[in-house]
Amino acid sequence: MTQAIDGRLRLTIIGGFLGSGKTTWLRHQLHEQTFGAVHVIVNEAAAAPVDDALLSAADRLTLLAGACVCCAAQSDFQQVLLDLCDERSGLADATLRVQNIVLETSGLADPAAILSIIQTHPVLVRQIVVVETVVIVDAVNARSQITQEALCRQQIEAADRLILTKTDLATPQDLARLCATLRVIAPAATLSAASFGSPLHLQDPSPTDEPFALPQILEHEGSPINACQLDLGDTPDWTAFTVWLSALLHARGDQIVRVKGVVATPAGRLLLQTVRRAVQSPEILPDRATPVESDNTIAVIGRGFTQDQLAASFTHFCA
Amino acid sequence: MCSACGFPAAPGHWTEAGAATPHARLRERFRRVQVLNAALAGSGIKTHDGGIIPGIQVISAGGAQSIVPNLDALWGEFEKRTGRAFDPLDL
Repeated sequence: MTQAIDGRLRLTIIGGFLGSGKTTWLRHQLHEQTFGAVHVIVNEAAAAPVDDALLSAADRLTLLAGACVCCAAQSDFQQVLLDLCDERSGLADATLRVQNIVLETSGLADPAAILSIIQTHPVLVRQIVVVETVVIVDAVNARSQITQEALCRQQIEAADRLILTKTDLATPQDLARLCATLRVIAPAATLSAASFGSPLHLQDPSPTDEPFALPQILEHEGSPINACQLDLGDTPDWTAFTVWLSALLHARGDQIVRVKGVVATPAGRLLLQTVRRAVQSPEILPDRATPVESDNTIAVIGRGFTQDQLAASFTHFCA
Repeated sequence: MCSACGFPAAPGHWTEAGAATPHARLRERFRRVQVLNAALAGSGIKTHDGGIIPGIQVISAGGAQSIVPNLDALWGEFEKRTGRAFDPLDL
């Protein structure tokens, strides 16, 4: 895992619907030490916790039980993060400091809400950067959850990485259709599979895989979700871009599920990420000797607009 | 250095991350009102930033003035003054 050069604590959010296998996956990652020196925060909506006992491999663990951190237990969650930041800045030796935090959310949490908790807090926004949202999807139950639960769909929409679990219990046809469905809901997320935390091979997508029908359950959801690419040109105008994007998020924040990309500015290469209306303060990435191909191309994922509309609108602002 | 948290890499509002030096920041502020006024032309709202007072000054056609701290607040102010959100896809 790469280090943030600005010294902020790196937070990974693990989401997924109830019973999708979040703890099982995390337990294996802790065993393999994927996250390095890590502080684990476990949140459970139920008052009688079990997950903390399963995660004994974690060196440091905080449990928040009885309420969900994205809504009812917001202030408790903020306090835990503040305490971590406090403790960290009290250590003179940088090698002893925790670099990563992993938050295992309750099955009822919306990852986008957690991002905005950090973004709207004046201290946390400067101390913590959310590096990745991993969402675990249960291959057996996902079909009914996706078609019935708005929350399950929101979780998938917010994901950077989707991990399918219990794939051995689903038929290959169902699995292929589920993968196709997930690609429709979260076109930019990477998709992989795992069994008890160890990576599994996932069959390559085929165009014949029919996605499940997705009935309308979310507000503002009329049209399907699109993944658009916006090319900012070789020397992007950061000011025009931010004026445009801030207006767009203000007017259409409900329809824009995700914006992500790297923009080259005089201040460095900035990694910009948003989930709905929440914008993470841009992370400064190390400069490269040769230009990176994907720089200055922004992925805008949402519904109710086309790639051409976005490009025309942005050009209007750059004039 | 932020006196509340003592952490040096204090980023401002996300829209202001593109400038690293005071010089660039000032230039960006001037550029920002230029872009804004071009986009807002015909809406009855104008913006002004002389580079001295922090924030963006918002001026309605009727003469009402206010100062907003950043672009997010500006779009909220626009909505309050005109009764509609400024939608860049609907120009």
